[in-house]
This record gives sequence, structure tokens and C-alpha cells, in this order.
Amino acid sequence: MIEVRGIARRFVQGSGRSARAVQAVDGLSWVAGDGCISGLLGPNGAGKTTLLRIVAGLVQADAGQVLVDGIDVATQRRAALARIGVLSDARGLYPRLTALENIVYYGRLQGLSEAAAEASAHSLAQTLQMLPLLPRRTEGFSQGERMKTALARALVHDPHNIILDEPTNGLDVPATRALREALRRLRDEHGKCIVFSTHLMQEVERLCDHVLVMARGRAVAQGSVAELCALTGHDDFESCFVQLAFGGKSAETEAAG
Amino acid sequence: MIGAAWAVFRKELRDALRDRRTLLTIVLSSVLLGPLVLVLLSTLVAGIEERAESREIVVAGIAHAPTLQNYLQRQTYRILHASENYEEQLRNKRLGEAVLVVPEGFEADLVRGDAPRLELVLSSANPRAQAAASRLARLLHGFAQEQAMLRLAWRGVSPASLHAIEVDERDLASPAARAAQWATLVPFFMLMAVLYGALHAALDTTAGERERGSLEPLLMNPVSPMALVLGKWAAVAALAMFIALLSCLSFLPGQWLLRSETLAAMFRFGIGEGAMFLVLLAPLAAALSALLMAIAIRCRSVKEAQASATVLVLLVSLLPLLTLFNQEGEAPWHLGVPALAQITLMGRVLKGEPIAGWELALPLAVSALLVAACLGFVARCLRGAALK
Repeated sequence: MIEVRGIARRFVQGSGRSARAVQAVDGLSWVAGDGCISGLLGPNGAGKTTLLRIVAGLVQADAGQVLVDGIDVATQRRAALARIGVLSDARGLYPRLTALENIVYYGRLQGLSEAAAEASAHSLAQTLQMLPLLPRRTEGFSQGERMKTALARALVHDPHNIILDEPTNGLDVPATRALREALRRLRDEHGKCIVFSTHLMQEVERLCDHVLVMARGRAVAQGSVAELCALTGHDDFESCFVQLAFGGKSAETEAAG
Repeated sequence: MIGAAWAVFRKELRDALRDRRTLLTIVLSSVLLGPLVLVLLSTLVAGIEERAESREIVVAGIAHAPTLQNYLQRQTYRILHASENYEEQLRNKRLGEAVLVVPEGFEADLVRGDAPRLELVLSSANPRAQAAASRLARLLHGFAQEQAMLRLAWRGVSPASLHAIEVDERDLASPAARAAQWATLVPFFMLMAVLYGALHAALDTTAGERERGSLEPLLMNPVSPMALVLGKWAAVAALAMFIALLSCLSFLPGQWLLRSETLAAMFRFGIGEGAMFLVLLAPLAAALSALLMAIAIRCRSVKEAQASATVLVLLVSLLPLLTLFNQEGEAPWHLGVPALAQITLMGRVLKGEPIAGWELALPLAVSALLVAACLGFVARCLRGAALK
């Protein structure tokens, strides 16, 4: 479970006279529960990536607190990180290492033994249907193959909480479907807490149990897809999102339930 | 922390060793170049030696000087007649000998007791001819002395009265010290081997990680930045030392190829010297690796980092020139400057001079400080670098 309590973060862009302060995240509170896929939805620049970086302890918040399974990220970063698997926006692999070596490296950094890391890599490869990729060097991998490797790398230590930043970017339809299937299985069979950031409506509609809509660093609405549609009175989720994110509703609106 | 650093070290080393093309370039340039230069140098020296041993001189108009011809032949020299265009040949270095020009009427002047003039033609831009000229000048001096003694004897004066003083030369430089003049090249190539061994790996593990976008996910692991930096640095330094070792080993067979016997006898580079070189180079490899990483972590791409690292590369390659141009010998502060200290000490190893304990400790301490400062800086920059 990931609990975000009143997180705020400002960035200063540029320097000297041209310096401009940007409030990337502005007092946001939100809970991503176990056994649930939570969608983080928002237009570009809404603060999704910053929020996820704060959750992963890569950026420090100016105010507020993030708890991962009850562990404070700001004070016990390493203990918290051991409980999270993050597929971040940047997902560079080491081109001269094989997919297996890439995955096992992260397993070792997570404190697994070589054998445990390899066993975990193989079982993840089975789930993600990427077994033939394991002995190949990642140089020349397609976008989908890279994504699968990066995902397996993020999940090698079997974390209870999984954060995915726009995971379907650049994936073709079969790969997107395979990923969706894998995430559902992780939720249903293992009861994981999965957070999923995207700007694709379709993904959210098909996959997410709970949605947080972000705009200008704030949570403008949260609830299930059906609840959000009901709240705005639209049948179409895209129209619903446009109204929530751009429709001048600046006050936080909590859907019932 | 140690476990994580070890995992990083192993991964970075494996990664660097898989980069075959880069590795091959480094090995070829830093491991083969040194011995190659040494062999070329020995060929040059051997050529000069051969000329010194060949008892041939080039004379124009020897027919005008039968007495001189007699003297030269008694000294077992073979007299070659100069060709018409010897001046031009000297200028464009096709003739490797100085030319002695005997004027008409030389013999008559000599008999009369006048001092006839001889002309020694050489070009100071032609080093081979210049070496021959000094030999020829000594020969002519011997002839002049013989003539003078004959004249004194004719007049009943003892030749000893001409020698008011006697001068004996005593060369204080040991054979090893003379060899060191040629061998200053060896430490320089070692230094470059260490630098180039570290360069690529240092940039790849820092700026390369940023460029690939693999630094941010790396920092999402529950590992302290210092453990990551330590593992990376150890891998880079190990690689630099590996190249230094290869370079060291390459000089051992390199000297068997030396064509000049004098040079081979003077150039002393055995297992002991090689091991001492490695001991001296280890702190430098550590310091340069850390310094390169500190430079590169600020850069977003390997290309940008290469441009920034050029300054350091230039500095390290220019430092040896300081020892070359500096006529005052080494100053104590040389040992406090990384690279300069190693060059100085390696030079002393080659000369066979002893090295005191503090002279080893000072560069070690400077390197250790530099490593600590640079690694601290890299660890502090790591998180910020991942996000920009």
C-alpha cells in the first residue's frame, strides 16, 4: 500500500533573472491500495512523473509524507525501496549485457543471491513471455523487448508495490495486451499494489480499479472509472477526463465511495 | 554496502571487457606504441653507431695532399671521392658524411711551413653528417699534431713541452643514468596507458549511464550512492591498472628487439623495474579514475564528457615535458603533483637511483585525498544527475 499525504514540491527553472518557480506537486493526498491497480491520469506536465519520483525517494518533497507499507520514504528510503519496484520514465538497459544479466544485476543490488536472482528472472520471463530474450544482448532490442526487460528488472525482487510510469509507451498491440494480462495476474494472484501512470484513456478504462486525475500538480478527482463518469455526467471516459483535467474544476472533487 | 559495491564492480568490469572494439583500440595504442617507438629509436641509434664504426671519409681533392692521404691511410681509413654535387646531397640529407675539401697548393704550403686551410663541409640540419664531422675534425687534429711534433723534433725541441697541462675526462653518469636519457619515453607511455585505460570506462560508467537513461532506474535500488560510486570507481581503476600491466609487460619483449647493442645494454627494464612501475602507477590509476568520473558526472553525454576530459588528458600528457625542459633537475614539489610525481619516480627507477619511503608516501597520500574528494563529489551529484 502506498499512502501519499499532503505532498508538495516546487522546482526553480533557469537561473538569475529568468528563474521561474514551478509548483510541480501541490498538496496532493492519495492512497493506492493492495490488490488494486491504481491509475494516475493527467495531461503532460501535470506532475505525474514528479509524484512518482517522490514516492521512489528520488526527489525530496518540500512538504508532506509518503508511506510505503507504513515505511516513511523520506527517512527510511532504502527499506522503502526494497518494497517497491519502479519502471521509471527512463528505462535504459546496458546494451553489452544480456537481458538476463541486466535483470540479475538489479537482483543483486536488491540483495538477492546470484541463484535467487536468476530463478526470479526466469520466472518473470515466463510471465512476461520473454524467455527467448534472456540469453541475448539487449543491444538492438525492439521497444517492446526493452520494456519487458526493464519491467522484469524492476520486479526481480518480487516487490509488493509496483510503480509503472507510462509502461505502454511505444508498445505494439500484442505487447500492450501481454503487459495488461501480466499486471492483472500480479493483482489477482499476488495481491500487489500497482500504480500505473499514463495519458491513454483506453488503458485506464481497461485496467484500472481506481483512478487519480491530476492537473497542475493537484488531484482534481479520484474514484473508479464509472464513478468519475457519473460525477461528470459523461458516458465517454475521454470527455469525462477532459472536463476534469481542463474543465476549470480546480477544487478537489472526491467521488463518493 | 560492500556487497552492493562488489556487484557494481563485477558488472562494470564485465561491461567494459565486453566493449571489444574500444578495448582493442586502447590495447593497440597504449600497449604496442611504446615498444614500437623504442624499436624505431634503436634503429636510429644503431644507424649512427654503424656510421661511427665504418672507417670511411669523403674528401674532395685528395690528390692535392699526399701527406694527408698517407696519414689517413695509416689510420686505416678508406678515402672516398666526393661527388660533384655533394653540397646539394648534404642539404637534402642524402649524404650522411661530412665532406673534407682540400684546396690546390695544400701540399706546397704544408712543406713551406705555412698553415694551409682545409674546409670541412657539413649541414647542421643533417644530424648524421654532423656526427661524422666531429669524427673527421678529431682525425684532422691528430694529423695537425703529428705534423707539429715532427717539426719540433726537427728543431730539437721535446714534444712534451707543448703539453703544459693534461686533461682527463671522468664521466660521473653511470651506464644506467645514460640509458635513462633514451628511456624517458617509457614512463611517458606508461602514464598514457593508465590514462587511456581509465578514460573510456570512467566516462561510460558516469556520463554513459546518464545518456542511456540507466542512472535513474539504478538509483531506485536500495543501495547508497557511495556504494554505487565505489563499485564503479574500483572497476575503472582496475581496468586502468590492467592496461598499465599489459603496457609494462610489452616493454619486456620490446627491449629484446632493440637493434642497437649499446642502447640494449643501457636500457635496463627488467621484472623488478616493471613491478616498481606498477607500484608507482597504482595510486595514479586510482586518482585519475576518480578525477575522470568527477568530470564526467556533470556531463549529459559521453561526447560532452570527452570534450571536458580533454583538458585533463592534455595536462597529463604535457607534465612530462616539464621534466624534459626543466634544466634545474627535480624539485620536491614535483612529488606532490599527481602524474608528475610518477614520471619523476619512474625515471629514477630507470636510472637505478634509490627512492626513500616518504617519496613513495607523498604521492600516495595526494592520490588518496584526490580519490576521496572526487568520489564524494560524484556520490553527491549522482541523484541530481539522474534527474536532469
